Amino acid sequence: MSTDSAAPSQQQPALPARLPFVAMLLWLIALTASAAPLLSGLSLPELLSAFWSYDGANYSTVLAHYSWAPRVAIAVLIGCGLGLAGAITQQILGNPLASPTTLGVAAGSQFGITLATLFAPGLLAFSPDIAAVGGGLLAIGLVIALTWRLGFSPVTVILAGLVVSFFLGAINMAFLLLKGEWLGNLYIWGAGSLVQNNWQPFLDLLPRVLTIAVLMLALMRPLQLLQLGQASASSLGGRVALVRALALFLVVLMSATVVSRVGMVAFVGLAAPVMARLLGARTLGQRLLWSTVMGGGFLLLADTLAHWATAWGGSSLVPTGTATALIGGPIILMALQSIRNTHHMPGQDTNPGSFLPKRRSLNTVAIALGGLLLVTTFISMAWSPGLEGWNWTPPWQWADAWVWRGPRLLAAILAGMALGMAGTLIQRMTGNPMGSPELLGISGGAALMMVIVVISGLEIGRFGQLAVATLGAAIALGLLILLARRHQFAGNQLLLGGLALSVFMDAGLRLVMASGGTVASRLLNWMYGSTWLVSETEALGLMALVLGFGVLLVLTLRPLMLLPLGSASASSLGLAVPRARLLLLLLASVLTAAATVVIGPMSFVGLIAPHLARVLGQQTVGRQLVVAALAGGFLLALADYLSRVVMYPNQLPAGLLAALVGGIYFLWGLSRHGRA
Amino acid sequence: MSTERRGVVQWLAVLLTAIVMAGPAQAKSWQHETGTLTLNQTPKRIVALNWAATEALLLLGITPVGVADRDGYGYWVQEPAMPEEGVANVGTRVAPSLEAVAQLEPDLIVTSTEMAPAADLLERIAPTYVVSVYKEGSTPFEKARGMLLTLGEMMGREDRARQVLADLEQTLKRQREQLENAGLTERPVALVSFLDQRHVRIYTRNGLFQKALDGLGLKNAWDTDGSYWGFSVIGLEAMADVTNARLVALEPFVPGLSDSLANSPFWTYLPPVQRDQVYQIPPAWPFGGVHAVKRLATSLTQALLEGGSNNVH
Repeated sequence: MSTDSAAPSQQQPALPARLPFVAMLLWLIALTASAAPLLSGLSLPELLSAFWSYDGANYSTVLAHYSWAPRVAIAVLIGCGLGLAGAITQQILGNPLASPTTLGVAAGSQFGITLATLFAPGLLAFSPDIAAVGGGLLAIGLVIALTWRLGFSPVTVILAGLVVSFFLGAINMAFLLLKGEWLGNLYIWGAGSLVQNNWQPFLDLLPRVLTIAVLMLALMRPLQLLQLGQASASSLGGRVALVRALALFLVVLMSATVVSRVGMVAFVGLAAPVMARLLGARTLGQRLLWSTVMGGGFLLLADTLAHWATAWGGSSLVPTGTATALIGGPIILMALQSIRNTHHMPGQDTNPGSFLPKRRSLNTVAIALGGLLLVTTFISMAWSPGLEGWNWTPPWQWADAWVWRGPRLLAAILAGMALGMAGTLIQRMTGNPMGSPELLGISGGAALMMVIVVISGLEIGRFGQLAVATLGAAIALGLLILLARRHQFAGNQLLLGGLALSVFMDAGLRLVMASGGTVASRLLNWMYGSTWLVSETEALGLMALVLGFGVLLVLTLRPLMLLPLGSASASSLGLAVPRARLLLLLLASVLTAAATVVIGPMSFVGLIAPHLARVLGQQTVGRQLVVAALAGGFLLALADYLSRVVMYPNQLPAGLLAALVGGIYFLWGLSRHGRA
Repeated sequence: MSTERRGVVQWLAVLLTAIVMAGPAQAKSWQHETGTLTLNQTPKRIVALNWAATEALLLLGITPVGVADRDGYGYWVQEPAMPEEGVANVGTRVAPSLEAVAQLEPDLIVTSTEMAPAADLLERIAPTYVVSVYKEGSTPFEKARGMLLTLGEMMGREDRARQVLADLEQTLKRQREQLENAGLTERPVALVSFLDQRHVRIYTRNGLFQKALDGLGLKNAWDTDGSYWGFSVIGLEAMADVTNARLVALEPFVPGLSDSLANSPFWTYLPPVQRDQVYQIPPAWPFGGVHAVKRLATSLTQALLEGGSNNVH
């Protein structure tokens, strides 16, 4: 890693001419497209003067001055701010796919805004920044506290950021589902909309964004040292952790401040630096500058497209977040090409030494987890709230209780096992501790199909739901195979493809979110798992499937041990690498699809369970598989029980509880590990 | 004497018929959206899984034993009022607790195709009447009207159902006359709920509230259809298109809304605002049934008669 990126920065290569050219083109297209609809009513000079004045007698100019011009200005300001923040984040973490969102900032800000909306609405009216920045700081505070002792090793920071995101995101969703009627503003906030009707938000933001940007630039020299790699940077100044913490703090301030006004405009902080890098920005200075420029142009263009789509759809709001996601997807796919050469993948420069808890006996761990699973099953069947309060169902009456408690519990356990195994498979296959079925896009494919069904307004029964989700997962899998064949099914390309797929799903989700109401809450409910809809037949079908594929997994142990050695070594040991990868991919996909139908695409058990297995000291493939399956099963069993009882008679989706429960344990494991 | 005896015979005959009618031999069937519902006797314990159905039952004078999101009903729907006692909460409207529904031992469940994925499970608990007031391609008021009449039939309260509908039409007619006499029916009306300081939900022609506007002889200022729920989410700037309208805003509002609007010349220059034609009315449930129409029409008529202002407050 250090030789790769440090060498070019010292030679100061010339900036390729296409970079300023593309940036200029982007801005030109964006500005023209943005101005075009207004030019029918106003002349060009009139339109330009809209930035500083208006004519009270002519409503078109009022509209241009108070609606169009501030919207253009705020799009550029926020785009630039997020572009800069994104480039800094990537520099801090030495990772071209990191973004402020990866650090949990967006989820944290939303958490702050949600709490403020429900419990302190006055604060929100006074200044949305306080709530958003407070939430963002809470998120990053958690991340920093968890990774402090590991000296912010980038992979741990990203991992902690992801978990904090899931965790806070799950709490946000719980509020949305239970209090949706009161949170109409949050649906829009979550979708991201740049609609403006006065200059106040822009004038509020401008000095803040400029101040933070100047502070960020002041950190440029120390940040440059980071590029030399941890060891050399430490020997030069030794304050690596401090610089990282400071820069992270600024990133949080910047992202939370801008999103507080317009909501989550996704992927700008990721796409802008990726574009700058793709087009040839090499040194840190170049990347910061061009990422900022690209960010502004990118958001302006996306917002203009959203504005156009809104007008085309009869003024029904198409949120800017949808447009940024739709454009962001292809950019990430393009990045796939270039990043192949740099070997610079999320989580790939993991330092296993710092992430290797002490080994434990398989039997002890497996028996402990199995015991926990049994206890959970028992409690779940026996101890439940009813309309007259909690009551105890003795085992001889379980036959009656089974209908409402049994199938969903069984399905949850099986889905957890399937995701645990699929997650282990994918992490082993890609050699990447951040790999997970959720990130592979298979769950995203299933979710995308459901989003499309919801948007189209079709009412489908349970069978239709299952069929559509399976079809979506299969299509995603097919695409992934096509995409990955060129790279001989190498792991990291798969993850990128999956990321792009999830981005498209995200675009649709934001569209539904913006319209709010019942449709959105139903979709969210499904996305976080609908164990309450499981019937016996489905549970038994799932059981046959998971057990069958579990046996097949035994056959994959050998390739799983060989693949992380690298394709050359694996081939020389007699493994047909591409075919083995295809087989593993298929296995992982089927398991994921089966689980997704039950638990939804957002539980992240597939990410958490394999990590739990490692934290519990299981290092070899076979052991990790067994323990991850048990851990996933236990996690979802517990989540299903809690989802049913904590807010009785209201139900929360089980996947949401899984993200909460798993998140807490994972954070605890990480912090304990840090202390050791 | 003979007349008296004949009277007794008649009375016995009626009683006998009544017994026979109530008996299993007289099971009646209704076609609904996902199948056929057969009832052997008049249901007594009913669970409603959405607020439109809850409203219809209460209108018929029937207290359901369980409803979804009972407490939300009290704020968002309000009328007809739910009895304080005897109604259990069975969970959220998108994911009710099936175990709680089963524990109530209902003999009828009223729900919509939104619950289609749970249809088989609900059918296990009790006969389920599936009726969706809000659905692609349907007219909400007509569906709500049909739901009320069918429920009236099932409960043997058809007269009451017809009476409710007649009362609604009469109210609308009376209020229309009031508005006409005051010369207030000319200018179109834009019905909105503020979602935050920058976005509103505008109620469209294909929604439930259109019935109230039609009944009052008012024109909807927004002439594009929205989602099948009968609304579109729009940026406030789109309001600039409805220069000719009166602006009616449904409560509640986010805190700080009126200040933020007052500080925005975009808003103060908006034609309805300039004409002092902004009206504020208490919440009415836009996704409800027939009574929501009456509630909206009543508060709308009152607000229009009282006159508007240049802001919400």
